[in-house]
Amino acid sequence: MRLNRMLAAGCAVTTIVGLAACSSTSSSSSSSSSSSSGAGSSSSPAASSNLVVETSFVLKTVDPARMFEPTGLMIDHVLYDTLLTYKGSDVSTPVPDLATSYTSSADAKTYTFTLRPGVKFANGDPVTAADVVFSLMRTKNINGNPSFLMAGITATAPNPSTVVLTSSTPNTAIPAILTNPALGIVDQAKVVAAGGSDAANAATADKAEASLNMTSEGSGPYTLTSFSTTTQVVLTANPNYWGPKPAYHEIVIRNVEASVQKLDVLKGESQIAVDLSPTQAQGMTGVQIVNGASPNLFFVLTNDNPKVSKVSSNPMFQQAVRDGINYASLVQLAGKGAVQAAGIIPTMFLGSLPAGSGATYDLAKAKAELAASGVGHPTLSLVYPSDIQVNGISFGDLAARVQQDLQQVGINVQLQGQSIQVALASYRGGQEAMGLWYWGPDFPDPADYLNFLPGALVGLRAGWVKGADPALEAMGVTAASTTQSSTRETLYQQIQRSMNSSGPFMPLIQPAQILVGATSVKNLQSNALWLVDLSELG
Amino acid sequence: MSSASTTAPAVPRPRPGGRHRDLRRFLLGRLGTGLVLLVGITLVAFVVTHLVPGDPAAANLGQRAIGDPAAVAAFRHQYGLDKPVPLQYVVYLKNLLHGNLGISEQSHRPVLADLEEYVPATIELALFAIVVSLVVGISLGIVAAVFHDRWPDHVIRVVSLGGVSMPVFWVALVAFYLFFFKLGWLPGGGRLDPTQNPPTHLTGLYTVDAAVHGQWTLFWSALRHLVLPALVLAIFTVGMLTRFTRASMLEIMGNDYVRAARLKGLPEHVVVLRHVLRPALVAIITVAGVAFGNLLAGTVLVENIFSWPGVGQYAYHSAVNLDLPAIMGVSLFVALVYIVINLAVDLLYGVIDPRIRLS
Amino acid sequence: MTIPAGAPLDPPPALPSSGSVERRWGRRRRRAAAPPAWRRPLALIGVAVIAAWAVIAIFAPLIAPYNPLAQQFTILAPPSAAHWFGTDELGRDVFSRVLYGARITLPLGVILVISAMIIGSLLGGVAGYFGGWTDNALMRLADLVFAFPGIILALAIAAALGPQLRNAVIAVIVVSWPSYSRLVRSLVLSARSAQYVVASRLLGASGPRILFTDIRPNAAGPVLVLAALDIGNAVLLLSGLSFLGLGAQPPTAEWGAMVAEGTLNFNDWWVGLFPGLAILTVVLAFNFIGDALRDLLDPRTARAMRL
Repeated sequence: MRLNRMLAAGCAVTTIVGLAACSSTSSSSSSSSSSSSGAGSSSSPAASSNLVVETSFVLKTVDPARMFEPTGLMIDHVLYDTLLTYKGSDVSTPVPDLATSYTSSADAKTYTFTLRPGVKFANGDPVTAADVVFSLMRTKNINGNPSFLMAGITATAPNPSTVVLTSSTPNTAIPAILTNPALGIVDQAKVVAAGGSDAANAATADKAEASLNMTSEGSGPYTLTSFSTTTQVVLTANPNYWGPKPAYHEIVIRNVEASVQKLDVLKGESQIAVDLSPTQAQGMTGVQIVNGASPNLFFVLTNDNPKVSKVSSNPMFQQAVRDGINYASLVQLAGKGAVQAAGIIPTMFLGSLPAGSGATYDLAKAKAELAASGVGHPTLSLVYPSDIQVNGISFGDLAARVQQDLQQVGINVQLQGQSIQVALASYRGGQEAMGLWYWGPDFPDPADYLNFLPGALVGLRAGWVKGADPALEAMGVTAASTTQSSTRETLYQQIQRSMNSSGPFMPLIQPAQILVGATSVKNLQSNALWLVDLSELG
Repeated sequence: MSSASTTAPAVPRPRPGGRHRDLRRFLLGRLGTGLVLLVGITLVAFVVTHLVPGDPAAANLGQRAIGDPAAVAAFRHQYGLDKPVPLQYVVYLKNLLHGNLGISEQSHRPVLADLEEYVPATIELALFAIVVSLVVGISLGIVAAVFHDRWPDHVIRVVSLGGVSMPVFWVALVAFYLFFFKLGWLPGGGRLDPTQNPPTHLTGLYTVDAAVHGQWTLFWSALRHLVLPALVLAIFTVGMLTRFTRASMLEIMGNDYVRAARLKGLPEHVVVLRHVLRPALVAIITVAGVAFGNLLAGTVLVENIFSWPGVGQYAYHSAVNLDLPAIMGVSLFVALVYIVINLAVDLLYGVIDPRIRLS
Repeated sequence: MTIPAGAPLDPPPALPSSGSVERRWGRRRRRAAAPPAWRRPLALIGVAVIAAWAVIAIFAPLIAPYNPLAQQFTILAPPSAAHWFGTDELGRDVFSRVLYGARITLPLGVILVISAMIIGSLLGGVAGYFGGWTDNALMRLADLVFAFPGIILALAIAAALGPQLRNAVIAVIVVSWPSYSRLVRSLVLSARSAQYVVASRLLGASGPRILFTDIRPNAAGPVLVLAALDIGNAVLLLSGLSFLGLGAQPPTAEWGAMVAEGTLNFNDWWVGLFPGLAILTVVLAFNFIGDALRDLLDPRTARAMRL
């Protein structure tokens, strides 16, 4: 009967599907169905040798000289050593890594580093000052994303165990800058053999990226086993590492959506989820949740350029916006661990303002200021990137709240979400009447935030031109050339207080940076620069 | 798509050269049309992506470099963005002839390399889905046609109608939650388990590669990971194929020659399979071709949820980031698939229905 | 989509002489005796559901318990007596948002299809009637659009024009018009040689006049059936684009975008489930209606659609 054929076909299909679904659990887990059971070590891969980390990849390359993305930072931090580094979650004071000590000249233009003796690359070659100079100059001359870190800085090696950095202008941020994995030290001999170059024309002459994306040439606790920008990156422990042996022999970093990360860590398919937002993390049981503030800062800008908008450049209007945003509700939206930004410098850096120093929400005052401004009940558009998320927060959500708040003040905000590509163009061109953006620090030092001053990179994006606030600009110049920590702290705080009382920037929140991990993972700490130090885990 | 004539032509006269000459001419003709179509598609993709107000340099250069005019100029020069637009298109076509699809602005790799990585993943998914759809869809359609107007027919009709009405991205969400999270029956995304390395490379389809090299653990793992996304994708196609099969078969079953076959005393299953299904296959194959295209479309919506590194995700990211070379590459790939499928469909027509072959 | 999901689905209703009856194109076509309405419960259900949604769409401000944009409730609360469908990530009531979503999806779906139908029919009619290179050019263009699976082309267009609901609608229209063109062209081609058209030409009627007065009434049936079957797909495509972030922008309550929010919080199943169900019921209802219309007006659409 033809029924038989159909039945046969149906049975075949069901069998295949059934077999596939029920088939052996081999080396990885397919664990219990209860959603509240945590990632117990019994169901995860042998916890002492394999670790699965899941993150939503922002990754282009692991060639340090070209790498400047969050996932790349996390990976390169354990593949390559830098002169200085940070331990755990403390990003206020750099500690020795490849350099055991350093001295700086009084004018902050010359830094001398003494290298640690006896360090070898993973392939056995010794690490010398020549390798350090090569790596730093290569990053500078390739003109990739991280090259600006070495802007105005030259490296030389007077002898095999000393490196001298000379900066054309006083640069107090150099110790902080050197911790960046993009300035990781590579093996000169091997990289040159693969087509690498640190010459002035390295931008076109260097061809080593493909090779470095297959084999890492570093001295860090891990080496690169396989690399893909879309699926996963696999790292293996470096048996010749000069420091303490890492706990995990193999680390697999998988590219997975945040919401799936949550399910995976609950079911034990992975041990660490990096991108969960506080809302996603709340209520999770059976796992450890490490909740720290992220160094990313969300802010609103109102364009100070009257040619772009007469409304947004009106000082009283700017005040009305500053006082008309309900910061507490934004913090609540961002979830547990988020804080209102007291100023543009995030809490974990030197020079940040104490909590509570930020703008206060005062609806009545905002309305009065709007009335005093003379712009009536204006309508203007707020541009923001609609297709990216930072620390699990989507710009659209924040923008919707801001819109709601300003509606009550009497300002009609039209949301203009655009794809990052398009939005960046108007942002960088300083053409937005209002914008909602974020700043991720280039390096963990307050000097990075001088970019917000009039005439500087971000200031110009808000139409804040040189000469708009001479007193503030003078403070900026002094801060840039002061080396003494306590004086710097006071100066940067003064700068922020001035920006909090007037100006086109309204800092909103610092979101939380959540790490969710299996209970079997020890010493899980969140780091503002490279998210998590994979080699420090236990 | 070619138009299949549904009326029988007059008795064909014998021609010099025989069948093969016709076949050759047919293939050449299709090749020509195919090439024109490919060029047309690149033109459309090119025009569409140049309508955009954004500047690719902006998003791809990073925060600092964009402020440096030299870096911007270098980027634009490297990707040929500083030439006048029509010239860019000509350059693109020239490169195409040499097999160079340009360099993707997101991944900094040749687009061809990107496609080589992503296409097999999507093809594997689509093939699995289409095989399942064909088996299930045609079977259900046959059952519905045979039991016409009785309860199996009604049930199948409603179910298949439901299948084509479901938004595939919603089904993906529900299926993922239910089968992975709540029930734990199937793995939660990716093509393999995290600690497994892909099988020795042959085609890029993990199941095929693993089977060919005898790596059975990998084979089962790849299969397990395929099941959920493929089934989700297949739902719409199953619905479509069921309805189509049923309709075609019912239409044919009303014909006189079918009644004649029954009256001759042939057993029912012979009547159904040889006299009804075979002619219906013409239409069904057409739809299957269309269905494959739909599956590709579905991958755009579904790959993200299943962390499936395929062309769907690549297409989406390229479109949103205005990665022009990548968009062109994806468009070409899609057009190529379309042309190949249509060719296969037309050739299959010839095999199944001699009237068409000779017309 | 290249062929709407609803294309040939049901056989012609049973006729005294089955199957091979030749139909002739004439001024008025003989219609098959279709089964009366109560024998087609699916169609009735379809109409009822759409009517219900239409009522909801019109009276949403009166029916919805809360403001769909108000972000004042507990974030991600499960369904309860106060919030039938729970709350979403921003603390908005999902039930109200689903109700308001009808005000976007229903009208836009209909407008979309009508626009595609008008544009496609005009182009197809012109191509079929005038033939020659107009025909070739237009059909090549239609082929080109057919070559892309709907969502990919719509994706490219929507991304190029910018993520906005209006642009998503344009994208779906661009993707949908070719099926109407093909259909109308084939109908026009068959009609062109019919005697009544030849007669009109001999009487001196101009091309457009013939198109509109003689051919259009006979083409209307199949085209309307195609449109009815196409609405479901249009709704799916539109919500698919919104799901990808290229259609409705926040804070607008649109079903596709709401399902996308659901994918951000898998555990909180209510955020994505209910909007998806809404899409499903609307598309299903339109497909029921389309099926019934097809059986009623023109069983031959099946044949025509295969061209």
